[in-house]
Amino acid sequence: MAVTTHAAPPTAAKPRSGSFRPIALELWHDKAGMIGFTVIVLLILMAVFAPLIAPYDPAIQSVAARLKPPAWLPKGSWEHVLGTDQLGRDVLSRVIYGARASLLVGTSVVLLAGTFGVLFGLFAGFKGGRIDDLMMRLVDIQVAFPGLLMILLIISAVGPSLSTMIVVLAVTNWMIYARVVRGIVLSVRQTPYVEAAEMIGCKPGRVLFKHILPNLTSPLLTLGILEFTNIVLAEAAMSFLGLGVQPPATSWGLDVSNGKDYIFVAWWLITFPGLSISITVLSINLFANWLRVTTDPQEREKRFARLKAVERRRNGAPAGAPAKA
Amino acid sequence: MTLIRNLLSGVVFAAMAALPAVAASASEVTIAIGSEPSTLDPQQRDDGGERAINDNIYETLMARTPAGELVPGLAAAAPTQIDATTWEFKLRPGVTFTNGEPFNADAVVASVTRIIDPALKSEQMSYFGTIKSAEKVDDVTVRIITTGADPILPSRMYWMKMVPAAYSKDPNFATAPVGTGPYELDSWSRGESVVLKANPKYWGGAPAIDQVNYRFISEPGTRMSGLMAGELDVITNLLPEFVASVPKSEAVQGLETSVIILSTENPTVKDLKVREALNLAVDRKALAESLFSGYATPTKGQLVNPRAFGYNKALEPYPYDPEKARALIKEAGAEGKTITLVGEAGRWLKDRELIEAVGAYWDAVGVKTDIQINEFGEYLNQLFDKAKRPDAIFVVNSNELLDADRETSFAYQAGGTATSNTDKELAEWVIAARTETDVAKRQALYDEVTKKAHDNYYLVPLLNQQDIYGFSKRLDWKPRVDSKLLVKEMKVTEE
Amino acid sequence: MGAFLLRRIFQGMLVVLGVTLVVFVATRMVGDPAKVMLPLSATDAQRAAFNHQMGLDRPLGAQFITFVGDLSTLDFGDSLWQRRPAIQIVFERLPNTLALIGLGLGLAVTLSLPLGALAALRPGGVADRVVVFGGLFGLSLPQFWLGLLMIMFFAVTLKILPTSGVGGPSHYILPAVTLAIPSLARLMMLVRSSVIDELNQQYVRTARAKGMRFHTILFGHALRNALVPFLTLAGWEFISALAGYTVVVETVFAWPGLGLTAMKAIERSDLFLLQAIVFTVAIMIVIVNILLDVLYKLIDPRIKLA
Repeated sequence: MAVTTHAAPPTAAKPRSGSFRPIALELWHDKAGMIGFTVIVLLILMAVFAPLIAPYDPAIQSVAARLKPPAWLPKGSWEHVLGTDQLGRDVLSRVIYGARASLLVGTSVVLLAGTFGVLFGLFAGFKGGRIDDLMMRLVDIQVAFPGLLMILLIISAVGPSLSTMIVVLAVTNWMIYARVVRGIVLSVRQTPYVEAAEMIGCKPGRVLFKHILPNLTSPLLTLGILEFTNIVLAEAAMSFLGLGVQPPATSWGLDVSNGKDYIFVAWWLITFPGLSISITVLSINLFANWLRVTTDPQEREKRFARLKAVERRRNGAPAGAPAKA
Repeated sequence: MTLIRNLLSGVVFAAMAALPAVAASASEVTIAIGSEPSTLDPQQRDDGGERAINDNIYETLMARTPAGELVPGLAAAAPTQIDATTWEFKLRPGVTFTNGEPFNADAVVASVTRIIDPALKSEQMSYFGTIKSAEKVDDVTVRIITTGADPILPSRMYWMKMVPAAYSKDPNFATAPVGTGPYELDSWSRGESVVLKANPKYWGGAPAIDQVNYRFISEPGTRMSGLMAGELDVITNLLPEFVASVPKSEAVQGLETSVIILSTENPTVKDLKVREALNLAVDRKALAESLFSGYATPTKGQLVNPRAFGYNKALEPYPYDPEKARALIKEAGAEGKTITLVGEAGRWLKDRELIEAVGAYWDAVGVKTDIQINEFGEYLNQLFDKAKRPDAIFVVNSNELLDADRETSFAYQAGGTATSNTDKELAEWVIAARTETDVAKRQALYDEVTKKAHDNYYLVPLLNQQDIYGFSKRLDWKPRVDSKLLVKEMKVTEE
Repeated sequence: MGAFLLRRIFQGMLVVLGVTLVVFVATRMVGDPAKVMLPLSATDAQRAAFNHQMGLDRPLGAQFITFVGDLSTLDFGDSLWQRRPAIQIVFERLPNTLALIGLGLGLAVTLSLPLGALAALRPGGVADRVVVFGGLFGLSLPQFWLGLLMIMFFAVTLKILPTSGVGGPSHYILPAVTLAIPSLARLMMLVRSSVIDELNQQYVRTARAKGMRFHTILFGHALRNALVPFLTLAGWEFISALAGYTVVVETVFAWPGLGLTAMKAIERSDLFLLQAIVFTVAIMIVIVNILLDVLYKLIDPRIKLA
């Protein structure tokens, strides 16, 4: 499958079987990226096989074994490597199971918001004209909503739960995908050969799949990964505020929140879940940083900023000046 | 000694008045309270933050000793009962409000009339619903008339703060309070702090501490940090685990009792055997020793606070007997059946922990506990829903008036605020006890109420909780049974 | 310019309308305020009377009409919790939040320019590696966790900074730093990459070949051209902080700003206060957005405001 390279946004080397080895090799040479990648893989395995790995059921309490310190401290024991919490639950097991909430919320939100945003952006970019104008205005309006306050408001109205959180985060995070996709669609359609293809009567579907989708893969992949880290942090923050994951389910943010009252007698309660969040996000960032440099010379912040600048220009020029990618 | 201290504090006071910028005098304390008062009108709201502050500014006709015994406050003596619905109070003479208004019969009549006036919409009306009116007899004698016989009127008057007759009509009253108490308001910066200064003309003698700063901190961890960092002198609701870490701490038997209310109608729990098993399954002693590090005591088969009037001394605590509980569950055919346990988190000390621990005990004897920790609003919906009672619902009851009427009308009497049984006989007893003025008969009625509920396992009473306070090293104070933060009882020692 | 402004204002009004609708629907779904606001022992009759007094027992349509009518006069009703006009509380707490954001973002903006530029001077060098890793690290720290750790270290262990609340200038340090870290990381990385890009541009090579001094190029051209994306991102950071991203920091540090007040309002089901907060913030965001647009026009002549 020969992917035509276009003038507009960078195209990733598609990870086919043939091109996989060089990519893997490149990753191997980037130590930070490699570490990030390894940690991510381990995290995923940990989350998937949590019941097999975790020494205890994370919800099992033992009133007699409360607030036991980690094994290496004077009063610790190897029965509970990272100690126990205020209800005698095993911290290590909770950290292992906590990965599930982060990864589940992160993945579902990125998929939900991503799918909707991409379809929205594709449609707007394709239709162009008034419809595009109207649709992007909708995006602008939602972007101008007071995001987190609205999230708090809605969650407190509906009642906090894992699914509520996923839906609300998806509803408030799809706009960036729509903007990125629309920008790319517009710029690709400007290229001479797509114009030519359309002129000779290529069906929109064909243009879409043959010419536009390949250009979307790489930027969307990077965007999705980076959005993933934002969602992981958002999940933790919301669970910390008591508006996210509800017990007896566990989440790192929730555990930091539960542990913060015990910070003076049991530092390990907030340390390990907090570290887990940081390590997860850092690893993904390291990996994404590598991925971005590898597949996309433009960095996200810049792209985002440019996008905004482009949008300002577009808002200024109603003719719908083409986005400069 | 007292004279010297009074003189000294008078001097300090004069100095402070002359040099208002001088801060951090030796006799200044900083107290953390959970929430900012919504108003400083002492009669309007039922608000813990307001109460913590106004307890030092205002006073009541009746007061309590630190141990909880009812004693005269602004009244000169205990009231006398003229007839079933009339109580007569003699007032302490010569007391004035800090704005110069006299405290006399007119002030008492004004205070009573004001709080029961429907126009004020006072949230404290649940304490004063039985009061009909107040009449002045002479300058230092007042009669309070109730709608029906009300044996606990003296306790109620321990809750009603006395306000100045004229100034309480002023629109500024809610932000600039004026009382008869040992302290007066110095400043209130919204969102930040309330500062009180000693009332030098206090009838009980000027207090030892000249200035009180209140800060509003809702997070227990943040309060703890403040205490450890030396910014705070008093914090409330200290977690038992921290007793060893803080500079100083004191605990006292509190007003709060945790309980799980069982439905007598829902499937599974309507079986007496199941309800008995749910009581036998819980190791209250272990919960008190471990979860509360000993700062709680197992209840003795009832919800009524041990210090309250109407407490049944004859009842035995439910034993911890998981074997028997398991057998009972089996006998009732309830093995593996689901019991929904509704609760909330964060409102009361270790509420979630306690709920989850009880759930685990129940699971251990063969039922399946479905714990539903709800957001507080939704939790209250379920607590108050009279039509559809949850199988089991957790609540912590607080008995400010220290009278069994509170617990029995809350969780025993069918149709009560949070009751889940439909026992008509029990309800009749509760109603009869409410208006019985003969002390012995009244006690006997409550004994019957608590005995019957005990034998029918309507409730799973858990623990009488202690209030634990954390202090800075320099603070000296014995906390009170009624949880009031009375600064006039505190002292600071020089470091 | 006039037409452009009109367009933006019209769009802003649409935003406000959308927010109004969502707020109205959501606040009417928050649990029954009477149950939360009144003591546990209150009777049903007392609760019904409370709802009646607050107008919460009227049909939704009637409530909405009153709602919109009152909004136009900035009347959001009295806070159920504090029994005084909600807008009054908002205006009391807003300065605290703005001060926190101002200080935090000010810190992020002033530090990010030199750090980002320093890193860009020699991509791949030591300074660059430190900045890039520091940036990624800063982006990975959950703020609530960072805040707790800093309280433990600076306030409790070292006792050099206050633990929480407002007071003297020292009270600002920990919350502002906590708020600044992620913004600083993002801005710093942006400055770095834009300056690297600019330094690679043809005009820079030409200028250097002509013998122009490097710092003239850096400060005169590269940084100036990097300014538009930088301002865009800084503006976005400001807006998202305003949009509620201070809630976590305010909660951790018991900072009496809008975010903490919003959390309290949620806890107490205080509809009127909550809607006043959300609504005020929405209007502020609309205004800031319009101001930013005008600012771009002034900075970057390429942007045409029709």
